[in-house]
Amino acid sequence: MAHDEGTSRRKFLTVAGAAAASASVAGCTGGGGGQETTTTETDTTTETTGGGTETETETTESGGEGEEFAVTITQGQMPTTLDPQNHRSTPTDNVVLHAYEGLLGRDQKGKIVEKLATGYERQEPGRVRFTIREGVTFHNGDQLTPEDVAFSINRVVNEDVSIASPQSDQLAGVTGAEVVDGQRAVDVMSDGINPIVFSLFATYCDVMQKSWVQERSKSEIAQQMNGTGPFALEEYQSDVKVEFTNYEDYWRDPAAVTSLTFRAAKESSTRVNQLLEGESDVIVNVPPQDIPRIRNSGETQLSAAPSTRIIYNAMKYNVEPFSSPQFRRAMNHAVNLDSIIENVLSGFADPTGQPTLEGFFGYNSDVNPYPYDKAQAEQLVEESGHAGASITLHTPVGRYLKDVEIAQAVANQIDQLSNVSCSVKQREFATLAGELTDGNLETSPDFYLIGWGNATFDASQTIIPLLTTDGALSSYSNDEVDSMMQQAQSQGDESQREQTLQEVNQLLHDQAPWIYLNRQYSVYGVRQRVQWQARRDERIDAYAMAPAEGQ
Amino acid sequence: MSMGRFLLKRSAQGILVVWGVVTVVFGLRYITPGNPVTFVAPLDASQELRQQIATELGLNRPFYVQYFDYIFNLLQGDMGYSYIRGVEASGLIFARLPATLELAVAASIVAVVISIPLGVISATRRHEPADYAATSFSLVGISTPNFWLGIMLVLILSVQFGLFPTSRRGIGLLPALEMLVTQFQISGLVTWLAHITLPAITLGTYFTALITRLTRSGMLDELGKPYVRSSRAKGLPETLVRYKHALRNTLIPVITVLGLQLGTLIGGAVITEAVFAWPGLGTLLINAITARDWPLIQGSLIVIGTGFVVINIFVDALYAYINPQVVH
Repeated sequence: MAHDEGTSRRKFLTVAGAAAASASVAGCTGGGGGQETTTTETDTTTETTGGGTETETETTESGGEGEEFAVTITQGQMPTTLDPQNHRSTPTDNVVLHAYEGLLGRDQKGKIVEKLATGYERQEPGRVRFTIREGVTFHNGDQLTPEDVAFSINRVVNEDVSIASPQSDQLAGVTGAEVVDGQRAVDVMSDGINPIVFSLFATYCDVMQKSWVQERSKSEIAQQMNGTGPFALEEYQSDVKVEFTNYEDYWRDPAAVTSLTFRAAKESSTRVNQLLEGESDVIVNVPPQDIPRIRNSGETQLSAAPSTRIIYNAMKYNVEPFSSPQFRRAMNHAVNLDSIIENVLSGFADPTGQPTLEGFFGYNSDVNPYPYDKAQAEQLVEESGHAGASITLHTPVGRYLKDVEIAQAVANQIDQLSNVSCSVKQREFATLAGELTDGNLETSPDFYLIGWGNATFDASQTIIPLLTTDGALSSYSNDEVDSMMQQAQSQGDESQREQTLQEVNQLLHDQAPWIYLNRQYSVYGVRQRVQWQARRDERIDAYAMAPAEGQ
Repeated sequence: MSMGRFLLKRSAQGILVVWGVVTVVFGLRYITPGNPVTFVAPLDASQELRQQIATELGLNRPFYVQYFDYIFNLLQGDMGYSYIRGVEASGLIFARLPATLELAVAASIVAVVISIPLGVISATRRHEPADYAATSFSLVGISTPNFWLGIMLVLILSVQFGLFPTSRRGIGLLPALEMLVTQFQISGLVTWLAHITLPAITLGTYFTALITRLTRSGMLDELGKPYVRSSRAKGLPETLVRYKHALRNTLIPVITVLGLQLGTLIGGAVITEAVFAWPGLGTLLINAITARDWPLIQGSLIVIGTGFVVINIFVDALYAYINPQVVH
């Protein structure tokens, strides 16, 4: 018995040794395999190809008219779902918008353009009418009907229709939609005037097919697609890739991009390497330190656009020393914003002096950023009666471009004042966001850095949630601001409303509830074979891409 | 105790441990700050919408109801639906498992293939240049952070020389093998190897260094033991003494460590997965944690925990098999 066991143990060790040896051989060929891959992959050009060869092949293919033009886009994250109405994330939006479309859309500069609607007008306060485009088909071949449009709107705003959509307040004020009898039109109802209703529909609410949605489970809708957009879903591997082909029967001309792949790499250096190696054609969020590598490679370039996101430091209005407007103004003067933009963000940002960004409805062009003035800051601190104050800036880590570095620079500059000391506390975004959104101002930090994106290009969508008394994320309260915003939301006349919003922006500049920091830029790395311009709303629209001339 | 009873006892203990893991992991959500609703709902959502979403996700029910519900469903293989993605958590997790397993196994292979010969050479040529080279290598290997190593390998071998793809998983091992068998195409396997080489080296370097040291010290230990001296005295050839007797005994603890490291590799591949955009369980878990997607967090941790337990039982059994004294 003992002998038998001994034999088999010996056998085991022999086998283990043999396995190790064969693995060693495999390991050696593995190294060489990498080189072989280059040639093999060029020959086969299968789906599974990787490495620089993929793009080399594509480059040759994209030579002439009507040829294949495959593009790969790498974001920081993969989409969480393919259901266009059950998410609130930009990476997801960027993927689904290629297959789904809304009634209205925006051009590269942010101007409203018609998409699935050919006309839109106000009928009466609280009712607007969209005329639905004819000859639009879903990817399954069915025609788009007004019923589909009404269903899609109701699916977002009315949880009884199918889901409690996290997008319901993207259509703020909208109560429902119905098909207009005898016409190819849909009426959308709102409580109140809803002055920004067209602005909302230009950014939100993708149209889905009623019967297609009703025939599928939630899980199926999250993994399949049937839209009217320029690209149809080819293959979806959750967290690995989403692949589209251009939809031949699209109501506009078919896209120049024939095949579109979305991938994700969380690490920015990984994305930059993928771009440089030709494994990706467009990458998002190029960090400032990698800008020279992309500029100097010869085959890649940068495309940047001011985004819709503002970075700011909120100061809680009812807590000393921030309860004093002088102290808050002092903080704005203490920060050398131009230096931060130049040194931390490599120039890819704009300074701000009001909550509304340039180009938005309600922006006040007479308001300038606070100038850097240390002496004035110190004097204002003295006047406020809070000399000697010690404050702590809470900042999320890795949520916004260079967030920690910006916070450290701000805190350091405030700390340079002779009569205020300031330190930074790094926070995990999840916890910080939880404190800010729990509806209780007491639990929020007194002084924190955060960013806010507003894709509606309307001042109200920043000021109401962030700077009015009942705003979901507000740490500021001012009766004058509240009443002026109420007034703005009931003004049907555009120029009157614009004037009200501009006045609010002036007031908010003077009251300084925030340290106004930078407008974030979206910085993309792009292969030169692709002709494409970055957009303001952080969307990557592959329909606008074309092979670069001479490529 | 017979081998059968030994295994039975270990398995029963294992089940208890898994239950403990489930309970602890479930408890974690109650002590972790950050409400999942914050991530499903937009930042500026109204309190009503938050309530609605909380109800839809079942977060309003009492703790014990959620706990027993979870255990009941888990026993049927149901890990719940991902809060953020709205699809079954188990589907997502098991789709990611092969990528991580492949990476962990490949890294272990890199480690075994390099470390054991290196350790043996180092021990048998003590105080010679080969020994110094091997010990220096293991010192550097243990001290190199693997995210740095990964980035350097990519910069040099991929970006500079274009030898390997920079990142991603080109194809899974199983589809690659399927291609080989059904279409007689080797290109899938080659692609797989090209993609996995750098991540496997990155992840495996630390363990290579660790096992080199372990093998070296174990071997030195064995070579100094009386049975080695008497074997030599009996006139056995030196190679037989070293590689048949001493090495065999050295390998026993090495196997234990390797087994346990495989578990660590599965759980700890997070950084390597991030550097190489490798679609494994580590990345899934990290994304789930930042989004407080509890069904995914719990599911991934339970799978990793259970993996650890299974590997442990397997290593124990193997150990008992190689060295029967353990059972008694």
